[in-house]
Amino acid sequence: MRLKVPVLAVLIALVLAACAIVLAPGTSYALQDRDLPLAGSSVHHLAGTDALGRDRLTRVAAALLLSMAGSIAAAALTTAAAAGVGAMAAFAGEGVGWAAMLVCDVFLALPWLFLLMMVRSALPLNTSPGNSAEITFFVLAALGWPACARAVYRGALRLKSADWMLQARAGGLKRMQVIRHLLPNMLPLLVPQFLISVPAFVIAEANLGALGLGVGPPLPSWGGMLLELDNSAMLLQTRWVYFPVALLVAVLLLLEAVAVED
Amino acid sequence: MDARYAGVARAELSEEAARSHSLAGLVGAEIAGWARGDAGISRHFGVPVSELIRPRLAVTGGLLLRSVLLGWALALCGALMASLARRTSFLWQVPATVLLAVPTAAMATVCLISGHGGPVLVMALLLAARDFKFLERALRTAWLEPHLLHGRAQGIGTRRLLVAHVVPALVPQLFALAGLSLVTALSALVPVEVIFNVPGLGELAWNAALNRDLPVLLAITVIMALAVTVSGMASSRSQEWKSA
Repeated sequence: MRLKVPVLAVLIALVLAACAIVLAPGTSYALQDRDLPLAGSSVHHLAGTDALGRDRLTRVAAALLLSMAGSIAAAALTTAAAAGVGAMAAFAGEGVGWAAMLVCDVFLALPWLFLLMMVRSALPLNTSPGNSAEITFFVLAALGWPACARAVYRGALRLKSADWMLQARAGGLKRMQVIRHLLPNMLPLLVPQFLISVPAFVIAEANLGALGLGVGPPLPSWGGMLLELDNSAMLLQTRWVYFPVALLVAVLLLLEAVAVED
Repeated sequence: MDARYAGVARAELSEEAARSHSLAGLVGAEIAGWARGDAGISRHFGVPVSELIRPRLAVTGGLLLRSVLLGWALALCGALMASLARRTSFLWQVPATVLLAVPTAAMATVCLISGHGGPVLVMALLLAARDFKFLERALRTAWLEPHLLHGRAQGIGTRRLLVAHVVPALVPQLFALAGLSLVTALSALVPVEVIFNVPGLGELAWNAALNRDLPVLLAITVIMALAVTVSGMASSRSQEWKSA
């Protein structure tokens, strides 16, 4: 816990800095300076420019914000779905519980990356960049809930046989009243699941983007910037192409430090 | 549709669009393909999917096997060292944590650029980092068992304690970890094969995704799901056999 507070502070500072860079007047992640492709560090472009003359720092900041916002939203969706399915499976009777866990097992047996590729390849060719980002994170959330739901189910089963729960049910509390008391008690289960999901989704988006199947250009994404590393001519011209990778690893280390168990 | 296209091309594009939009038609064609035993016809290459998959199975299988073996060897060595010499365990924990934070695609690209390491090393490092965390925790807990503490106090050698007590007690967890290793390796397969240009199933799946070749993607997904299911079943059967 002692480590989590400074780590969270660094993460929040990074996000605020990214907001300041993206929202600064006269900057845009899509703005091209055709006279300065692959430029090194300068006063106007602190981290240089990419092959199209776009400011690398602005693009990295925008990618950080997009990735964090998308991953946090997807993790929230996954956790909510897992809470719903896990609690329902634990409290709705043996048959429902068995069926819900069977669905979870089927999903867990499916390799998520291949499923993700299948869904992405089935999208219309004229999908806009914004929609591609939304769909990527939505699909990540839709495929990420089963492992989470299994953990929640096991925790909910323990809660079901807890003394206070037995007393509440014996005392005649209605189902909705029981659920109202159940949710706060499930938070210690749900918060770690949420925190684990965020870095997992950031990595998944980066890997998908590096395969050209993630967020569509010109929207900046970690994966899209990893693609720059494929261009050996670019690597010889400027070392700043490694900047997005270094920042991505740093952000992931911070996120994992937040997610790690006390 | 653009009037400049030839009549035949327009007819073919319309037919393809109708086939793509009809889910029932798509599923029907897939089922017929699986019933024939060729897993359908690839839309991109125009050949049976089984013909595309068969030669690549050996490539991917070999890559997975070598990566899992190397990854396990690295993870076991690291976990043993870290659990035995706790003061220096950070020397193993720090690289494992950093490796877990590096996306597979980035690790593969950096290896390719630097000219050091290949697909097996990248996948093995990823597996080793993930398995190390489990193994190190399991071993650390195992060494604190009262009978092992007593054995060490009596001066019984580490190797003997490992072989006679620690490893047998960890077997169920090792079997469970074996199943997880396959899932981890499959998730890294596509970026690694694409970046290192390995002609395996991952690269085929990536090509199929870019070319919207759903029959190929579906067949590969089914094969991967089967592999995960079989490994999960084998792992749970082995645990049952061990505890019987």
